Amino acid sequence: MNIKEFIDNFADQFDDTDRAVFTSETKFKQLDEWSSLTALSIIAMVDDEYDVIIKGNDIINSETIQDLFEVVKNLSDNA
Amino acid sequence: MSQLTINNVRIAGMSACVPATVEDNLMLPIYKDQNEALKVIASTGIERHHKVEPGTTASDLTVKAVEGLLVKMNWEPQDIDCFAYVCTSRDYIAPQTACVLQDRLHLRSDCCVFDLPFGCSGWVYGMSIVGSMMSHGTFKRAILVAAETNTLNRNQRDTTVRPLFGDAATATALEFDPEHSRPMHFMYGVDGSGFEAVWAPYGGMRNPVTHEALEEKEVSPGVFRRGIDMVVNGMDVFGFAIKQPPRSLKELIETFNIDVNTVDLLLLHQANKFIDEKIRKAIKIPPEKTPYCLEEYGNVTSASIPLTMVTRCSQQLTGEEQHCVACGFGVGLAWASMEFYAGHVMIQDIITY
Repeated sequence: MNIKEFIDNFADQFDDTDRAVFTSETKFKQLDEWSSLTALSIIAMVDDEYDVIIKGNDIINSETIQDLFEVVKNLSDNA
Repeated sequence: MSQLTINNVRIAGMSACVPATVEDNLMLPIYKDQNEALKVIASTGIERHHKVEPGTTASDLTVKAVEGLLVKMNWEPQDIDCFAYVCTSRDYIAPQTACVLQDRLHLRSDCCVFDLPFGCSGWVYGMSIVGSMMSHGTFKRAILVAAETNTLNRNQRDTTVRPLFGDAATATALEFDPEHSRPMHFMYGVDGSGFEAVWAPYGGMRNPVTHEALEEKEVSPGVFRRGIDMVVNGMDVFGFAIKQPPRSLKELIETFNIDVNTVDLLLLHQANKFIDEKIRKAIKIPPEKTPYCLEEYGNVTSASIPLTMVTRCSQQLTGEEQHCVACGFGVGLAWASMEFYAGHVMIQDIITY
C-alpha cells in the first residue's frame, strides 16, 4: 500500500474540506470538518480498502495521516 | 464453531410496547445547530426514539406487552410453562426481575422463569435458550421477553448515546409444535477482550458504587457521565460491528447451506443504518428484504429485532411462512446469528405505555 493512495482514500471521507489540505503531515483531528462520524467513515474505508479493522485508540493516538497510515500498514502486513 | 439446531418449536405470536414520550433528534438541545443534528440523522438513520418517564421501568413496559400478547393469543397466564426475561436494565440488583414478573403477570408458581442479561444479542440468544428447553416437549408454551430502558442506564447529557438509544419491551410467544415447525439454526460468537467497548464500569462487585461513581463528570467536551452510566465507545463498537456480524452470518449461511436467494427477511439488530447497511451488503441481501425500525425507535438493544418484526413485518409474518435470517450483536462483545421460518404468527399491534 502506498501513502498517496491512502491520502486520497482518507480525503474522500470529507465533504467540505478542500482536497489540497490533505498531505501526509495533515493533523486531521484539527480539521474543522472532523467529527466522530468522520472517524467512523475512516474505519469503514480502512476495512473496505485494506481489509483490516482499526481501533478507536489507533485514531486517538494518531496525529497525522502518516501516523494512521503506519498503523494500517502494520496491521495489513501482519494480517 | 458452536452451532445449534432446534426442532419442534415455532414462533406463535409477538407483541411490543413503547413509552408514549417521543424524543426527536432534530429538537435535542445537544447540537450546536440543526445542521449537526441532520448529519447525525443522515448517517445513523435514527430520527427519534421513545423514552420512559421517570419511575417507569422495562418491567412496566413488559407487563403491557405480555398482557397484550396473551389477549391476542387467547392464552391464559396459567398456560405459560416458561418465561424468560432478556434485559440488562433490571428493576433491582436482586432478585431477578423475572421472579417479580411471575407475580405481576399471574404466571403459575411452578413456571420456569429466569433473567437473561444479554443486551443486543439477547433476542437471538434467548430464542436458542428457550427454544432448546421447549424442544424436549414438556414445556408447551413459553414467553421470551426482550426489554430495555436504555435511556435510564445511559446519561442523558452524554451526546454520544442520547440520539441513538430508545426504550421498548417485546414479547415473543413460543409453542411446542412438531407438526408446524421447521428447524431453527444458530451460530454464536464472543470477544470478551473487547468488553470495555460497551460497559457500565461501576455498580457491580468489581467496582462497587461509591460517592465518586455517582458524580457526573465531563469526560470529553459535551459528554457527561457518572461511573454507573453505560459507556459506548463508538469507534470500537463500529469496528466490531462491521467485522463480526457479516462473518457470523456468512458462517451461518455456509454451515447450514442457506440459499440467500430464498431468504425473505434479514432481521438485523438495529444498531444504526450505517452499520446495518454494511452488514446487509456484505451478505448480499437486497434492501427490500431488510426492514428497519430504527428511524422511529432508535437502537432498543435486545428488543430491536422483535420490535422490527412487530412494527415492520407484521403483514408478512401473519401470512405464509417467511424464511428469516437474524443477527444480534453488541455488548459483551457478543453476537449470535440464526435462521428460522415464521408464518401465521399472531401479532398484536404496537402498544403504548
